[in-house]
Amino acid sequence: MQTKVVLEDYEIPKQWYNIQADLPKPMSPPLHPGTGKPVTAEDLAPIFPMNLIEQEVSQQRWIDIPGEVLDKYLLWRPSPLYRARNFEKLLDAPVKIYYKNEGVSPAGSHKPNTAIAQAYYNKAFGIKRLSTETGAGQWGSALAMACQMFGLECRVFMVKVSYEQKPYRRLMMNTWGANCFASPSNLTEAGRQVLAEHPDSPGSLGIAISEAVEDAVSHENSRYALGSVLNHVLLHQTIIGLEAQKQFEKIGEYPDVVIGCAGGGSNFAGIALPFVCDEIHGKQLRILAAEPALCPTMTRGPFAYDFGDLAKKTPLLPMHTLGHDYVPAPIHAGGLRYHGMAPIVSHLLNLGLIEAQAYNQLDTFDAGVKWARTEGFIPAPETTHAIAAVVAEARRAKEEGKERTILFNWSGHGLVDLAAYDAYLNGRLDAYEFSDDEMKRALKAIEGLPKP
Amino acid sequence: MERKDEKTSDYKTLIIRCPRLGGEVPFAYCEKEGGDLPCRMVVGCWEGIFLVENHLRETLSEEAWIRLNSQPPKDKLTNILDIVEKAKKRIK
Repeated sequence: MQTKVVLEDYEIPKQWYNIQADLPKPMSPPLHPGTGKPVTAEDLAPIFPMNLIEQEVSQQRWIDIPGEVLDKYLLWRPSPLYRARNFEKLLDAPVKIYYKNEGVSPAGSHKPNTAIAQAYYNKAFGIKRLSTETGAGQWGSALAMACQMFGLECRVFMVKVSYEQKPYRRLMMNTWGANCFASPSNLTEAGRQVLAEHPDSPGSLGIAISEAVEDAVSHENSRYALGSVLNHVLLHQTIIGLEAQKQFEKIGEYPDVVIGCAGGGSNFAGIALPFVCDEIHGKQLRILAAEPALCPTMTRGPFAYDFGDLAKKTPLLPMHTLGHDYVPAPIHAGGLRYHGMAPIVSHLLNLGLIEAQAYNQLDTFDAGVKWARTEGFIPAPETTHAIAAVVAEARRAKEEGKERTILFNWSGHGLVDLAAYDAYLNGRLDAYEFSDDEMKRALKAIEGLPKP
Repeated sequence: MERKDEKTSDYKTLIIRCPRLGGEVPFAYCEKEGGDLPCRMVVGCWEGIFLVENHLRETLSEEAWIRLNSQPPKDKLTNILDIVEKAKKRIK
């Protein structure tokens, strides 16, 4: 009985997939906040090397993965495709459940897929040092590992309150050779200004980003690295879905449903985009983004023009939105809370190429705990949203009496998020749903704005 | 969840998981997150736990309260380009 589908090293995909080439309708470009005009290569040049900027704007369908990047990927890739037989048994539904385990990377999540690539391209462009910010430390540790592998100096500005609370993430970065500084630090003008006014400042992500960017733009041969949101980050993550396609081919199967949790979009896009390509070219399947019920951007928010911000200062963007004045409640979904959805995911939803479902955090943790008690691995809180979607799909299959093959992205382990499990297991979490009154208010916020 | 009725000084030590940092923080952090202002998400994060809006209206000046509520949560790329411009000016 096969539980893992593994690819040999030589079978690892040699190219990333760029969905920009296949979109039936192209996406609108990002606009510069100062000029209102599309962001240019010159705008990005102080912080990213030109080879990554070229990827950011590329319309080429397949982009070769450099041999040096593949060599590093091979330390944990191809990641195994697991069949979750124990979880299937628990659900007792006519479903086969497969998951791509991205928690097997040294840093414990999908983040190194782009950290390795970014470190390589910076090195190739002649960059000597990279700087970044980190909150919990997950992205910082992925980049620290990647920089060490390519001989780059790595400087991570970690929000001071996390730096003090999470010594193990900091030690991971140090072990991989990075310099991890508590932010605000006295290493940058931005940090010094904060410290002068607030010597006991606990820091913030805003301060840490300012320090990392200043560190990059004020030093020769330095650049900044970002682990989410941008096109080239999503591009690097497509190796997840491309491997999964090969693994399904190997066992002569193909999924009916592909699932990922959706926040900034990098792990959802990683598993989904290669399958969206299949869908565009005629395959019949459903691709499902799992989002928090408290922040049901795609499931309940209309596709409309809206501001990206409360102060209505950003350009109007066409997106699924809950209104720019939406303030989410404190759920344990990390980055899955924002009034709008990432442009590429909104675009795919609007084109009808993907679907979305929302789940409340009690259901997601219930699914996560059941998963841990059957399959063993403890999922990150974000990952539990994808598992809750699997549970719902299995229930539907049972009701309809139809067999389904489900694939989802197990984006990372939750071993640094056990405090969230503590809160759940001790009854300190609420369900939180987005109410009809909140929906009315959200729609009022976009009344009078143009319709796409 | 029933809201707590602590005295103002007790709020500072209450703990919550920060959705942006992925770890637990005391209310004292949220009150200072924006330098001289609280985090722009402070009301949303804490309103289920105590009457945070009343507390902030009592402890912040009217000008600070208005600034807190008009802080723009920009998308990441916009935010970064803005920070690049500020950094260039700072290091001139």
